[in-house]
Amino acid sequence: MTNDPRFSQPSVVAVVQFPQPQPQPQPRIVMQQPPQPASQPSHKRLPDAQEVVSVKGLCKRYSRKAPWAVTDVSFTCREGEIVGILGHNGAGKSTTLKCLEGMLPFEKGEIKIAGYDIRKQAEKAKSMMGFVTDNHATFVKMTGLQYLNFMADVYEVPTNLRLKRLKELDAVFQLGKPIGNLISSYSHGMRQKICMMGSLIHHPKLWILDEPMTGLDPRTMRAVQDFMHAYVAEGNTILFSSHALNTVAKLCDRVVLIRKGKQVNELDMINIYAQNPNFDFEEYFLRNEGQEE
Amino acid sequence: MKDRKNKAAVGRKRTARKTGGVNFRMVGALLRKGREERRSMFKAGQFDLLGFLLRVLLAGAIVALFVVFFGRFVGVYAAIKTAGKPDLVSRSNELLTILYSAIFLGMVVGGVGQLGRELFTADDMKLYSAMPINARTLFVARLLSIYRGQLVIALVAFTTVNATFAWRVNVTATFWLLSFGSCFLIPLITIGIAAVIVPLFQVVKRFLKERYILMFIVLTALLGVAIWLYSIILSGVKQLLLGDSLKYFFNEKIMRGIGKACSFLYPARFLADIMTGVRPLQSWLGLIGVAVAGIALSMIIIRSILTRSLQARNQGSSAAAFRNSVIKGKGSKFAALLKKEFLHIFRTPSYMFSYFSVALIMPLMVYFCMDVGASLVVNLVGLDCELELAIFLTILFGALTNVFCATNISRDGEMFYAVKAMPIGYKTVFLSKIVLCLIVTAISQVASAVTLCAAGMVGIADAAFIGLVGLLFSFANIAVATRYDFNHAKFSTEDDGEIKESSGTVSIVIVVGLLFSFLVGGLVFVLKILGQLRSFEIGYLTYVLAGGIALLAVALANFYLFFRLRKKYYEFSGGGI
Repeated sequence: MTNDPRFSQPSVVAVVQFPQPQPQPQPRIVMQQPPQPASQPSHKRLPDAQEVVSVKGLCKRYSRKAPWAVTDVSFTCREGEIVGILGHNGAGKSTTLKCLEGMLPFEKGEIKIAGYDIRKQAEKAKSMMGFVTDNHATFVKMTGLQYLNFMADVYEVPTNLRLKRLKELDAVFQLGKPIGNLISSYSHGMRQKICMMGSLIHHPKLWILDEPMTGLDPRTMRAVQDFMHAYVAEGNTILFSSHALNTVAKLCDRVVLIRKGKQVNELDMINIYAQNPNFDFEEYFLRNEGQEE
Repeated sequence: MKDRKNKAAVGRKRTARKTGGVNFRMVGALLRKGREERRSMFKAGQFDLLGFLLRVLLAGAIVALFVVFFGRFVGVYAAIKTAGKPDLVSRSNELLTILYSAIFLGMVVGGVGQLGRELFTADDMKLYSAMPINARTLFVARLLSIYRGQLVIALVAFTTVNATFAWRVNVTATFWLLSFGSCFLIPLITIGIAAVIVPLFQVVKRFLKERYILMFIVLTALLGVAIWLYSIILSGVKQLLLGDSLKYFFNEKIMRGIGKACSFLYPARFLADIMTGVRPLQSWLGLIGVAVAGIALSMIIIRSILTRSLQARNQGSSAAAFRNSVIKGKGSKFAALLKKEFLHIFRTPSYMFSYFSVALIMPLMVYFCMDVGASLVVNLVGLDCELELAIFLTILFGALTNVFCATNISRDGEMFYAVKAMPIGYKTVFLSKIVLCLIVTAISQVASAVTLCAAGMVGIADAAFIGLVGLLFSFANIAVATRYDFNHAKFSTEDDGEIKESSGTVSIVIVVGLLFSFLVGGLVFVLKILGQLRSFEIGYLTYVLAGGIALLAVALANFYLFFRLRKKYYEFSGGGI
């Protein structure tokens, strides 16, 4: 079990009821199926991992008259962890991530990135992370390479590391020759790739992604997932939001569930899978957390 | 009940077949969609009342200026004698032909832009191509939308010209009737001409796309030519204001030339003939013939390019290969932001034109206006006020050039948030924008001062002072425009993030810039005149006043720019997205 004290609080972490396996009717013709890889996190938790993200009682609304977009959200992310934020459309996932990235101000609560307060020590906190927004906004009037150079300058990446990192990232994302083209000529998927490359050029301690897998081709998606595992194995942390339940189940150590701006549950996926290797996360989410109030 | 529904459906299909497959209900729906979009701009929370009022005020000021000058010019021109006799009908005919030609030209230019937007760049084209809307229906809806836009321009422009003309020359009720009626016919002609030009324009546009340096040269050269033509008009205005010399300008030879040129200016000539009652039957036939040809041309050309443009939009554009494929050495955050800002402006043609080209051409504008203004002041007031005039013009054109800075924040769109999430201080973000504008404005101001000095209009010391004062006022202008835009940021919702419509912020910055230049320019001017009239030496008062106000403006603008900026920056969640 993790050492996080909040895990003992029943108000935050609900007792997970594992669905019992149902007897399946026998099909008349049985197809020969290849062995399925287990849909569970494939990396191990680092011992003595430090806290990289600490969110306490986050509350955010877009105007004084508007309802709260996020209410009392609290969670932590440690070194070597992949944490997913899951919820319906408009649940408050992107808002939470944007507050974390320092894009949006928030009314109440505290956010710390690698020990730095996002409001009081904004620049230091921001230099610890790389982020990819849900709309993959980039400077479309730059070429891919100019954009990467820009990001490298902003995050103060030394010259001798730039080419090395570029080669490493290109091996993962395989943008290839179009890196020299204007970003305005890129397809949706290519823009996503260049955004991810830009966010990783400084090898951040924390990588935040909003809907990272949308629009990626299957090959790149697999490469990104493998990269995520390798990245956290180095002691880095990844926090991402997604609708793709299988991806979340496969990648995340922990999942924060948000519904209508409120944190409703936090699941320790490693422990859950350790107890029940056949745990069907999709089924669980749709039955328990996926229901609207 | 079911039978009735089926019959109605069959009836609709038959009607659609009869009308060549045009579904007029769909046309209505498409036009309604456009109307709703326009209406939504006036909804509470979206509508910028101050900006709207200022825009109306600016438009009103331009119309009023035209009415005053043109009204006066009509009187002078109508009295010009040829072969020793005044000829009101011929003069009216010439004057209206020239003005109608100018309106036709403006409408054709506007039509080319409108057609290009509606057919090639409108966001909804991609969606429509995937919807069950046939090409003919879409074509009719687009054509009607373009026609409506042109009709509004025609009604405003022709009514203004004809009303001003009628103010100085007696006209009958038929003139007013014809003036109103012709507005409905004219858009058909201008759309037809625009439809012929638009494919060629698109070819040129595609050729220049991503050839940014060439585009910059072409746009700047075109602007230079436009300014040169404007200077000719200015010298005409000067002649007009100087009174008698205009009569010498419009001598027999010039009048013969004007008459001959007007005889070729079709189709405006047809309209002028109709309005002045010259060969009405032939002119009507001619005008209707041109309108029919215009409809036919627009039908053929727009339909042929509509399908192709739909397919081209869905294919996307081809990428240009860049030779730059080396990773750069480490640079500062400030330099990175400065480069980003430059590339953003330089690689967006409309931004490049409205800032870089205008800034580069500004010295020419100052020179031409100084040339006209200096001789006017000497002739009208009998005083030498070249330094004061130069200060006024430098501040005025500097303010107009820096209007572009009113989009310094809005231009970034959602990327403003992305930059906010980067480890960059708020001062670096703002200063990178302001410093780029200052570099551009400094080039422009120094070039203006050097031009005035080289032309012998001011001395070296005065030129240096003018350059310095211009730069100081420009800083104040840029700082205020940037902060005001930050406080009222409105990000573009276009696909490419480009701002295509001017906001209320732009109008406010224009009005403030104009007021300030008139106040400062007027103050030093009036003091100089008063000093010379009352025979007291004002000495260095112009320098002290202009320099002092410039320094004060810098201090105030600097205070306004940075007032609670840190807090506002980190709390920023505007932009309207």
